[in-house]
Amino acid sequence: MLMSSKIMKPRFLYARTGAASATQLHDAAKFALKVCLSCVSLSSALLANQPAKSIVLKEFPKATNLVEQVVVPVPSEVFSALDKLGKQGWAEVVRPQKGVASPSGGKEQISLLLGIVIADGFVAVEAENAEEVKAIGNSVRTLAKTIGVEKAVSRRANSIVEFAEKRRWVEVRKELDLALADVRQAMQELNSDSLAQLVSLGGWIRGTEALSTVVSKSFSKDGAELLYQPVLVEHFNLRLQALPEVAKSLPVIAKILAGLSEIQPLMGKGDGEIPVKAVAEIGRICGELVTAVSAKGL
Amino acid sequence: MAAALLHDGLQSARGGTIVEALSYALEAAQPAVKEGFTVREERWGGDLAAGQPLPIPHQLFKGNDYWFWMGTDSKGATISVHIYDKNGKLVEDEFWQKGQKAAAKIRPKRTGTYYLLVEVEKSTEERTVWSLAYGFR
Repeated sequence: MLMSSKIMKPRFLYARTGAASATQLHDAAKFALKVCLSCVSLSSALLANQPAKSIVLKEFPKATNLVEQVVVPVPSEVFSALDKLGKQGWAEVVRPQKGVASPSGGKEQISLLLGIVIADGFVAVEAENAEEVKAIGNSVRTLAKTIGVEKAVSRRANSIVEFAEKRRWVEVRKELDLALADVRQAMQELNSDSLAQLVSLGGWIRGTEALSTVVSKSFSKDGAELLYQPVLVEHFNLRLQALPEVAKSLPVIAKILAGLSEIQPLMGKGDGEIPVKAVAEIGRICGELVTAVSAKGL
Repeated sequence: MAAALLHDGLQSARGGTIVEALSYALEAAQPAVKEGFTVREERWGGDLAAGQPLPIPHQLFKGNDYWFWMGTDSKGATISVHIYDKNGKLVEDEFWQKGQKAAAKIRPKRTGTYYLLVEVEKSTEERTVWSLAYGFR
């Protein structure tokens, strides 16, 4: 609880019957002074711990590592918020795996696809589709193997399949989040921080596509507001711009950069009021990016 | 290093202390976990000089409740975390500080960018290692 403090006014105490003696008055005054000093001391202590009611963000040194500071929410975080608005049609946005995902393209494309498939897992959990979640668990293992991080996710992939069979959705979500974290860590240990970021980006694109589609089908202002994510769009834009030139010039990366530049004005305007047309457009752009990443021979 | 994304395997320049700082943050999270909060596997960590707070931008979604838990490996240090909106207005619903831990809670009224202001208020060390985790429900 935020602690409030009051400066208490000293009160003199008098005996109810008869006039107080000088000694009694003196003692009462001393007592009152002690109480008063204690209150001031306590108030000072309390006030010292009170946060500033406002800060001027511009006055803080420009964070040169702003890019590193941003934690990307997992799809279940935004889906959780949407679910509180009412039952949603998640089954319609499940993207059937049609077997195990087949790796295609270079490490950058596969990293993006890995993120997309993990996000597919979160969508399948929302739809409580155990068969899809199991297929996704196997796809995660295959894709991770292709880019040399299979060891990091093998245990997670097994757990995803196991918990999906038992329809233990809370545990599946946890394992998916852990899979994301394990993949990113494994890539960073291989000095592939850029690939780790691409996994996050793939997951965000697919999660945003699913969110847009669900909100479009049953539009509400509150649902649309969940797409107000300017800090994440900026984060991904900066991360892509910071990629080595060789990676930045890949067609799939160029497509995503172009897509983000289209999404940014749709997501970042005003105070979070995103109109129905913009929701549909965001969904369309993200859908195209998912298709592009999943395409063979790109 | 003021702040960076943290994974459990990452070491600070002093070795192992971010992991210890994180353990305090996760310890602070336990009561909320029992109340149904999901703790994210991605966290922040770094080192700060006393009296030099750092605002960390973060996306929050209306409809969720959030807790942010901060920990430090430095005994005797006082740390804090507070939540501000994009205009710099204090918007948290609750906060506490106790020993090597601190926390802040919010049920955001709007979806959007918020700033987590982490600070080492006092410390005997020139730079104090800290870690920040969060959870939602």
